[in-house]
Amino acid sequence: MRIELNEVLWVEEQILSFDELAESSGLPPRLLAELVQGGGIQPLPDQAGSRYGASALAAARHARQLQEDFELDASALLLVLGLCDRVAELEASLRELQARLPRWSRAG
Amino acid sequence: MQYRDYYAILGVARDASEEQIKQAYRKLARKYHPDVSKESGAEEKFKEVAEAYQTLKDPQKRAAYDQLGTHRAGEDFRPSPDWQKQWEWQGDDSGFAEQIDLSDLFAHLGAAGARGGAQRPMRGRDFEVAVPITIEEAYEGTQIDLDLNMPEYDERGRLRRVPQAFRARIPKGATQGQRLRLPGKGGRGFNGGSNGDLYLDISLRPHALYRPSGHDLYLDLPLAPWEAVLGTTAEVPTPGGRVRLKVPSGTAAGQQLRLPRRGLPKPQGGSGDLYAIVQIVVPAVTDERERALYQQLAEASTFDPRVQLAQESGHAH
Repeated sequence: MRIELNEVLWVEEQILSFDELAESSGLPPRLLAELVQGGGIQPLPDQAGSRYGASALAAARHARQLQEDFELDASALLLVLGLCDRVAELEASLRELQARLPRWSRAG
Repeated sequence: MQYRDYYAILGVARDASEEQIKQAYRKLARKYHPDVSKESGAEEKFKEVAEAYQTLKDPQKRAAYDQLGTHRAGEDFRPSPDWQKQWEWQGDDSGFAEQIDLSDLFAHLGAAGARGGAQRPMRGRDFEVAVPITIEEAYEGTQIDLDLNMPEYDERGRLRRVPQAFRARIPKGATQGQRLRLPGKGGRGFNGGSNGDLYLDISLRPHALYRPSGHDLYLDLPLAPWEAVLGTTAEVPTPGGRVRLKVPSGTAAGQQLRLPRRGLPKPQGGSGDLYAIVQIVVPAVTDERERALYQQLAEASTFDPRVQLAQESGHAH
């Protein structure tokens, strides 16, 4: 099998329109609009509210997965996305704190 | 293709009601959903459970599944020609058994199988793959080889697993939680739609010496008590090679000595820092001469390390 070398792109540099976001995530546009309206998926701050970046795409794909797994409506999706964000933030700060702790003083 | 027992996966009887199936799914999802469980293997387990549920919750898919008959889990089988005819499965004989996954048989059925009639362009699916790399690889950049089995629809709308091999260059600067994108390397688009993307989720493998935090690295620096008091120059490993670090006199345990730009490189340029966290370690065994010297030090010193404790207890009572 032929293997080609692929250059990867930093996800942070990705910018999508609303329609591209719907298509890439697989979310129905109406549900996506509700999630944007509810603040669960946020447009890029400096793009007049019509462009979306990597974190919006990650959130939209997450929402699609949750919807597929649990048939959640927009309100439930907003709640779950919010909680997952909080968990991710807490995990990140926990990882940071653990990095700063001397290895010998950490349990386990 | 390999048979999977969807009823056993959900832990229900073959004649279970829709309600029982739903309840079993909820219980297992609560246990194994990747947003809930960080146990190793939970995600794989959940995929199995979700696949079983997607088929059994839909009456049409469930009927089609039931009519495959009962086989042992893992048993190699293929659906009978009658089955293929009844469920409008356009099977052919070329490599059928290897390329088709059990779940692919039901993809075109039921409420979710709306793909059949749609003629509008559809973008291919995006795929994600976890890529654990070492800190050294993150520092230098690396090449990785990926062997993936990608579900793909052929021109007749049948779902198959197509093995795909990729070699991707991971640029230096990728760190924990970083996502990289291979545009157009995901699922193939239909009816003129563009291909999906392949995402690489980077994680850093645990390292014997360094602990990453963003692009900064933390490292324990053990010092002997006299080194901490008198100061010293210590040789410290960094991903870019060993460097000499000046430890000032009077360095306390827990103090962080910063080595600027000795951490991981950042994608936009520049580098994180490396922090050496001071540990004061004592020898497990001391000989008589050493003990005598410590004894002398103890007698000569007026240092009281517990001044604060004495004061605090004074306030409390």
